[in-house]
Amino acid sequence: MGITLQKSERWGSARLGQAVALLRNNPSIVLIYGIIIVICVVAAIFNEDFRTASNVANILRQSIVIGLIAIGQSMVVLTGGADMSVAMVARTVGLVVATIFLAANSSNGLIVPLVILGAGIGIVLGCFNGLLVTQTHANPFIITFGVANILRGVNLAISSTPIRGVPDAYLSIYDAKIGLVPVNVIVMALVWLGAWIFTTRVLAGRALFAVGGSERVARLTALRVNWTLLSAFVISATFAALAGLFLLSRTGVGDPNAADGMDFQSIVAVALGGISLYGGKGSLLGTLGGVLLLVILSNVFNALQVDIYYQQLLLGLVVLIAVAAYKSPRTA
Amino acid sequence: MKTLSVAPKAFTGRIAAFRPSPRLVHAVDWAGRWAAPIADVVVLVAAAVLVPAFYGSTNLKTLAIQIAVLGIVATGQTLVLLVRSIDLSVSAVLALGAVIVVQTTSGASVLVTLFEAFAIAAVVGLANGWLVSKRQVPPFIATYGMLVFVQGARLAYSKGQASGTVPGFLRTIGFGQLGPLPMALLLWLVLNGIVLLVLRYTRFGRWIYAVGGNPSAARYAGIRTDAVVIAAHVICSVLALLGGLVLSGYIGYVDLNLGADYNLNSIAAAIVGGTTFTGGRGNLFGTAAGVALLVLLLNLVVVLGLPIHWQYALQGLVLVLATALQGFRQFLISR
Repeated sequence: MGITLQKSERWGSARLGQAVALLRNNPSIVLIYGIIIVICVVAAIFNEDFRTASNVANILRQSIVIGLIAIGQSMVVLTGGADMSVAMVARTVGLVVATIFLAANSSNGLIVPLVILGAGIGIVLGCFNGLLVTQTHANPFIITFGVANILRGVNLAISSTPIRGVPDAYLSIYDAKIGLVPVNVIVMALVWLGAWIFTTRVLAGRALFAVGGSERVARLTALRVNWTLLSAFVISATFAALAGLFLLSRTGVGDPNAADGMDFQSIVAVALGGISLYGGKGSLLGTLGGVLLLVILSNVFNALQVDIYYQQLLLGLVVLIAVAAYKSPRTA
Repeated sequence: MKTLSVAPKAFTGRIAAFRPSPRLVHAVDWAGRWAAPIADVVVLVAAAVLVPAFYGSTNLKTLAIQIAVLGIVATGQTLVLLVRSIDLSVSAVLALGAVIVVQTTSGASVLVTLFEAFAIAAVVGLANGWLVSKRQVPPFIATYGMLVFVQGARLAYSKGQASGTVPGFLRTIGFGQLGPLPMALLLWLVLNGIVLLVLRYTRFGRWIYAVGGNPSAARYAGIRTDAVVIAAHVICSVLALLGGLVLSGYIGYVDLNLGADYNLNSIAAAIVGGTTFTGGRGNLFGTAAGVALLVLLLNLVVVLGLPIHWQYALQGLVLVLATALQGFRQFLISR
């Protein structure tokens, strides 16, 4: 790394050198954006609907829910774990908020308090996950899998039928536009930028990499390992909660089947983007690529009218090929 | 981890602060090993006192068959957990096998179909094992990808609705009785006994524990670790398929959601029974007790007339508690 920097300073542009080094160290990022570009070009040539501005806006907007969840998931995966409860957290938040809206006759004044409440639920559930993992030293995959199932039961106890009663003003979160560009896409771009800065420039973000790389070394360098792990789970669940809130504004009903399969899709997006599933390596740029690839693939499948069953088959196949292609070095 | 304690004091102050007493370590280790059998007895006694309906003969038969199906699947899952892997594709394999056998019995001979189904299961297991051992994919991701793939294959194959009837011999295995005991239960007891003996007394069994306990040491000792991991995965998938056949024989038809719970339940059963994620620790007696505990608890939800969604919460709760206990136990032992 140091050598590359010196070389690039001789070229006169340290910034450019850094960018080149980033790409050279992460071939998966180059690969994934290459695949995205190829798919987009092919789809744009063969399908008229694909290249319309509204479809592009649509793709960007569809990438928000999975994007929010994937950002949070990235933080946990960077520490070497995974959060399998994100989809259920999103669903729980959506159901709770919708239930309260219904009970309060869809009053507009409740929007802000309920958004705060939803995020709060995420923080609490994240703390719960994080404390379980840090205090019992349990396997994060499985224990969050268990938490997800508890939440699944609780969700069905809240409601097994869709809940109406979300006020119209709340739906504008999804619908508001400036010209052609939806407001939420702009906000989401800022969120991505913020998350990227967090993981590259902020101590708490870099600590995620350190803990994922080697928990023991992180401990010896006086990083607070448990705090870092806890913060990763809190961020993950909070972003999942935000995804649940956004999903509620998209569908307009509290849906007991909301965010189905998002836990796995988010991990797939993270893995496709080249973040090592053993932790400690990767970049949020890759996750963004993974998210876009998943959304574009599903958009193209729908445009080609591929049967939903074959879509699942193909998704599984893509995942298996992708994970088989990135060979991680043998640990131990 | 032992080497930590020789590092200079100044640096290890924060790390070395936690020194568990030997008594605590022993207590947690004992709890991890015996939690499931003890909880079994407690649940059985509590059920006898609180809900006499629990001991009705129909309910007992249902329990026995459910224990048998989950037990067959959990036996394979335990093998996979013992080699530090995990198999999340069991539910898909279980359902795929049942769909194949039920759908093709109209024309082809039963033996050919059965052979096909078992071959497919073996290939799935082989692929899982290959991804996990040769490609070093985290087992959770590899097998979850396989779950999505196999589920997609099943849906594409059956076009979303399975049709056909369950062949007669499966009905016999799944629902028939041999003397006082259901056939399925006997099948499980025999299988569980065989694998238990294999694990305890054969070379292959020692290999499994060696690979799970310390993969690099096992490799240096000349064990072909990758082959052992792959073998465990193949056995697990084949047993999952067998479980699916018994299950479809028991319920008499095949639907879309057949066996969806078996991933979580088989893992939870193995872990409640004392198998840890870090491999090399656990046995099939514990798994059998864990299977019984899980089925008893889920059955109590039904017998007590509680809403069925509390089954999900209960499964999750058991899994969380068991994982926490085993994680803590492993942490204490390894210090």
